[in-house]
Amino acid sequence: MSTLAIQASGRWRQTARALLHSPKAMAGGAIVLALVLVAIFAPWIAPNDPLSQDLLSPLLPPAWMADGMAQYPLGTDSLGRCILSRLIFGSRVALWVGLCSAVGTMLLGCALALLASYFGGKVDRAIGYLVDLWMSFPPVVLSLILMVGLGPGVGNVILSVIVVDWTRFCRVVRAEALVIRRRDYVIAARLMGFSHLRIMLREMLPGLVPLIITLFSLEMGVAIVVEAILSFVGLSVPANTVAWGVMIADARGVMQENIWNLIPPVLGIVVTVLGFNLLSDGVRQALDPRADSSRV
Amino acid sequence: MLAVLVRQVFVRALIAIPMIFALSVVVFVVLRMLPADPLAMMLPPTATPTEVESLRAALGLDRSLPVQYGIWLSHALHGDLGRSITSGETVTHLIATTLPATVELSVVALAFSLVISIPGGLLLYALNKRRGELLADSFVVLLISVPSFLWGIFLMLVLGVMWPILPFSDRFGADIAPPKTTGFALIDFLLRGDFQAWGNAFSHLMLPALALALGFAPLIIRVLRASLLEAAGEQYAMVARLRGQSDARIVLRHMFKNAVLPTLTLIGVQFGFLFGGTLLIEMIFSFPGLGNLMVQAVRNHDLPLIQGIALVFCVIILVINTCVDCLYAVVNPRLRDA
Repeated sequence: MSTLAIQASGRWRQTARALLHSPKAMAGGAIVLALVLVAIFAPWIAPNDPLSQDLLSPLLPPAWMADGMAQYPLGTDSLGRCILSRLIFGSRVALWVGLCSAVGTMLLGCALALLASYFGGKVDRAIGYLVDLWMSFPPVVLSLILMVGLGPGVGNVILSVIVVDWTRFCRVVRAEALVIRRRDYVIAARLMGFSHLRIMLREMLPGLVPLIITLFSLEMGVAIVVEAILSFVGLSVPANTVAWGVMIADARGVMQENIWNLIPPVLGIVVTVLGFNLLSDGVRQALDPRADSSRV
Repeated sequence: MLAVLVRQVFVRALIAIPMIFALSVVVFVVLRMLPADPLAMMLPPTATPTEVESLRAALGLDRSLPVQYGIWLSHALHGDLGRSITSGETVTHLIATTLPATVELSVVALAFSLVISIPGGLLLYALNKRRGELLADSFVVLLISVPSFLWGIFLMLVLGVMWPILPFSDRFGADIAPPKTTGFALIDFLLRGDFQAWGNAFSHLMLPALALALGFAPLIIRVLRASLLEAAGEQYAMVARLRGQSDARIVLRHMFKNAVLPTLTLIGVQFGFLFGGTLLIEMIFSFPGLGNLMVQAVRNHDLPLIQGIALVFCVIILVINTCVDCLYAVVNPRLRDA
């Protein structure tokens, strides 16, 4: 093992230790892990079929209330569907959209950021202009327009998040990559005649990994909110798919009669986004040696 | 100073104008990908193919995409954004009647978020390296994790339904005559001298504006705290401390002025997001503004209306960003000679 490799593995061990000592990263990680497990094992955890309607018992309050039924722990909606089961199955759409959109924005944003920072000059200016142009669109308006154009569907939601949100990755990663571009080892690699692609991927990219992980986690939260917004407006998922935004839209209609329909999906979104934000914050502070002195 | 301002406006306008063109192309192309035929919504099901073709020709929809764009653009430059397919009213009229409501909402929301975030940022700075910090910091992360539209639903649930303190739908009571002079309820009712109506309109603004402000404030809090921390390490802060000034005086008289600059930039960049955020908040609170109009247009596939509103949103955001840049040049003396 070369000295460089030893240093690198030492760095990773140090990072792992920093992560284990960061209450934020641990709390965020625990929330995210729990969510992933719930989403994967949804059919086994959920007490009822999220789509089956029990029209004889609509709008039940949770089981611990006087009128509640033990069969429906969090009550039922206006069509007598089990709120808890819908909440559990809703996590699948949320996490799937979050994961795919974050991967997509990461790939697109990082690729453009690397090109812009590595080649500089005209390439950089063109990409910079594109980012500016994109960012002068309010994101909600742009994704609404895209969804009108593309039509509803989970795949289209993912596509529209990627098209709207790649700019954040591109802008932030570009700024950091510009710094790395001027490091000695990158210049050395260029002098050794490595190909452009190799320098970008093997020399520059590893230095950007901490930043990318932070942004990735943040983006998952953002994408989940966007999906909730779009399904709230009724533009996201087909009618027989369970999503938290759809639950909120349904519950808003019967808010005066039953507030218990509204609380679970709202909390579901808040806890999920909180988990990803905490994880992102914790990772940033643990991986960044220059992180501000507040050790939280 | 004035010359700087004029030049700033000029330079920004030079950048902004091609941007508006580019944006309008993007909007136009995306909306033409629509699978639904806009004609299907305008004609009765009994229409003959000849009727369909004549309407298509009348609307210019049988030409190529660039020609259609050219027609639309030349009309738009003359202030004609077409007619709404669903209501038949001109798009400009629909936008002109709803825009003041949205502007009013976002300005009040901005004011609310400053009221929350400036003391919040100062408090968080004061807690730096103290015991309450982890708690306060986690609280800010929690605030950031709640998007405006969930705040809207939450506030509506708590202050509208559980404890019915504030109204949560529409812009003002049904018995109040709508504002005609400027279109801004808060200004018109004052001009009219009708303080009861003013109070009514303000109470209707409270919840939606608060929802937007709560989504916006944590971002400002974070930047303000970070820039205060940075300012604390600067020499002028240390010199002031050596001169024996109190911490509060150093923060408020010296550091705050410098820390406000990055905060102002953030507000400028993010005000666009706040303005875009009105869209959902208006829908949740049935607030008759531009956003609500947009959501309805989207649901009805009302192309001319969607195009017009999207363009107005973009223009407003570019205008806001330009204003903030100019303001920035005025506030920051270091930029004046540049």
